[in-house]
Amino acid sequence: MLPFAWLLVVVGFGADDPSHFLTLANFSTIFGSQAVLFVLTMALLVPLTNGDIDLSVGSLSGLVSMLVVVLNVEHHIAIVWCCLIGLAAGLAAGVLNGVACIRFKADPFIITLGTGTVFAGLTELLSNEQTITGVSSGLTKVIFTDEFLGIPLEFYFGLAIMLVVWYVLTFTPFGQRALFVGQSRDVARLSGFRVDRIRLQGFVVAGFVSAIAGIFFVGTTGSASPGTGSQLLLPAYAAAFLGLTTIQPGRFNAIGSGIAVYFLATGVAGLELLGAQNYVQDLFYGAILVIAVIISRLLAMRRFGRGTA
Amino acid sequence: MRAAGLAKRFGDHVALKGVDLEVEAGEVVALLGENGSGKSTLVKILAGYHVPEPGGRLEVGGVPVPLPVPTGAYHELGLAFVFQDLGLASGLRVVENLFVGDRRHLGAGALRPISWGGELRRARQVLRHYQVDVDPRSLVRELTPTQQALVAIVRAAEELEAFRRHGADRGPGLLVLDEPTVFLPEDEKVFLFELVDRVTSRGTGVLFVSHDLVAVRQIARRAVILRDGAVVGTRMVAEVSDEELVGLISGQRSMGDAHEGHPATVRLPDQRQLAKANTGALDAGSVVLEARGVRGGHLAGLDLAVRRAEIVGVAGLLGSGSDEIPYALFGTLSAVQGTVAVEGREVPLARLRPHHARRLGLALVPGDRKVQGAALSLPVHKNLLSLVTEHYFRGGVLRHGTMRSVAARRCEEFRVHPRDPDADMATLSGGNQQKVVLAKWLELLPKVLLLHEPTQGVDVTTRAEIYRLMRSLKEQGLAILWVSNDYEELAEVSDRVLVCAAGRIVGELTGEELSRDQITSQVYLASALEQRGA
Repeated sequence: MLPFAWLLVVVGFGADDPSHFLTLANFSTIFGSQAVLFVLTMALLVPLTNGDIDLSVGSLSGLVSMLVVVLNVEHHIAIVWCCLIGLAAGLAAGVLNGVACIRFKADPFIITLGTGTVFAGLTELLSNEQTITGVSSGLTKVIFTDEFLGIPLEFYFGLAIMLVVWYVLTFTPFGQRALFVGQSRDVARLSGFRVDRIRLQGFVVAGFVSAIAGIFFVGTTGSASPGTGSQLLLPAYAAAFLGLTTIQPGRFNAIGSGIAVYFLATGVAGLELLGAQNYVQDLFYGAILVIAVIISRLLAMRRFGRGTA
Repeated sequence: MRAAGLAKRFGDHVALKGVDLEVEAGEVVALLGENGSGKSTLVKILAGYHVPEPGGRLEVGGVPVPLPVPTGAYHELGLAFVFQDLGLASGLRVVENLFVGDRRHLGAGALRPISWGGELRRARQVLRHYQVDVDPRSLVRELTPTQQALVAIVRAAEELEAFRRHGADRGPGLLVLDEPTVFLPEDEKVFLFELVDRVTSRGTGVLFVSHDLVAVRQIARRAVILRDGAVVGTRMVAEVSDEELVGLISGQRSMGDAHEGHPATVRLPDQRQLAKANTGALDAGSVVLEARGVRGGHLAGLDLAVRRAEIVGVAGLLGSGSDEIPYALFGTLSAVQGTVAVEGREVPLARLRPHHARRLGLALVPGDRKVQGAALSLPVHKNLLSLVTEHYFRGGVLRHGTMRSVAARRCEEFRVHPRDPDADMATLSGGNQQKVVLAKWLELLPKVLLLHEPTQGVDVTTRAEIYRLMRSLKEQGLAILWVSNDYEELAEVSDRVLVCAAGRIVGELTGEELSRDQITSQVYLASALEQRGA
């Protein structure tokens, strides 16, 4: 259903303003500019499958991008090392989230709301609340400047990450365990799974993939600025829940969520071409998140019937 | 399998008091006992779900197993389970549930690809092999309860099969079946029995946890009877009568001081008011509560009636539907058909919601008090007056002082210990929490009181107080319907006891017939009859 909705959006805006909307440049922008959001959406999927909500991924990706830029620009560390340090920071943050939630049996929703705010604060501390630019062109070249078929390479990296997440969740014992844990912690324990360890792995994967999103952000803009990461959290959740309604309905799945990211991006790009203001983005993303969740509940109710909610 | 000294406590409640159990190769051992006697706790210790108290020992196939059983280790030990609630993930597909045991690889194995095409073919093959007609692609929750049970059984059998293939030298394995017949109609039980025959013929031991004496007689060699967390007897099934088994299962529990001491009746809140609310235009002996054709869950066309000033007990085995009656009549179960009438005002259950039920004059004291009946982190007075808070909202403020003093009086009347209305509910013992929950509902001056296991996990003295309270309420005209698995107390306190089997009331005991033994045998006979007749 979602792919058709996407097509409809493309045709609709295309018919309205073909000279601007239906251009290679426009689609190159849509595909290229959304890679950060795309990767961040993938970061959500493993914890969501485990039944855990991680609200810190947005500001974590912001923190990692700031870390990479500060280390590279102000401390003149080679960009490769900066990226590796950024990834390690992502892993560490994932461990922190996981341990705080699991060891102390705390609700991930509230813990990651807290840690996410801490990450945002650290980002401002690192940057002195300034946007920092001038990162080594090696990174921007590989991520953004180099193109294949007119679309920046980061788009293809994003696709690769999507395929990996899809493979892991759908075709490996790791993904199957996550599904059982998300369905019922009791059933998973009775099946002999170490529920705590599986949930911890989910948070760590989320931290790592958010760090990749942060590095993509640096590569795309050549800079980092405080506040960018957390702005991506809501669209990422909107895409993840919209993905729930397609490809493998009822399950958080990478391909569905990937399509959803571009559906959202196309919608926003089209609205902006029509001259809509910035606030339309918020209206659009927020409404889509609510509608996506309602649709997935409706699908579940129709399928299983009779007031099981 | 050999276990010794397995013990488990949940807080103050001792679920298992050092149980010894042996199952030999190729032997079927039945584990019998009432609800709450510790059977499922024992099973879950074997599965590594519960952590037992230190001091127990466990051996499988002659090899000592560390306790607690490491998570997931039971697969390697050759143990396979059909859990009481089946242990299936209802939102996942049959094929995923069937092979969940293959998904425990750690390290690099966790990322090894699963070929879903191959898994589906394998699932079809396995299901066909066991002659179970289920599409492996369907979600478990789309299946009927019977089909779900069959999937769980097939899964256990397959896990044993795989264990035998890969580890012939590690012993024959053990199949643990926890109440497997509850979901199975008679013809499908044959399926289970054949399966048990097949695995035992290859040397696998079977631990068969059940209420179902008919099934036990058909397949078990030895029966171990558990009561209040301890083994009270081991009998060869062929040499023991039903009566003796039932006697062992129900036991000779002490009723404590239910008859002696504290002769004074418990004073009730606003006795005058309560009595007035329950006289009305209706005479003593008239029907206050009437339920007709109740269906839904395990209930299948249940009818019952309770008169003014009467205590009616309901007895039934697990799966008979008896546990669902209070909730169905209070409108907390979904998809229930039939009607309930209070003093002649009839309401269809499909539309009944708890707030309607409350208005009709029904009150429900649920069994799982910890989650359903009380807010544990709030003080006693907030809980006690939570249903009538609006009475204390005057002049734009909530009169906390008045609430506290009213609650203090209630605590006095109901002998809640401690008498402190500011104490948090969580600090009270189970029995005292129960009294607060009862008092809370009586604030509404109900006409009918529905009780589910009101004395579960309650000490003997408090039990006696709860019984006195019930009698005292009855004298004031209340109609009381209660469901309990403790047949001693049912016989002691009730005016009538209804026997529930297969979702219907199939018998009634009154007067002289009201004894624990009578109830126990009626309940077991009725369920056996229902099954044979089915």
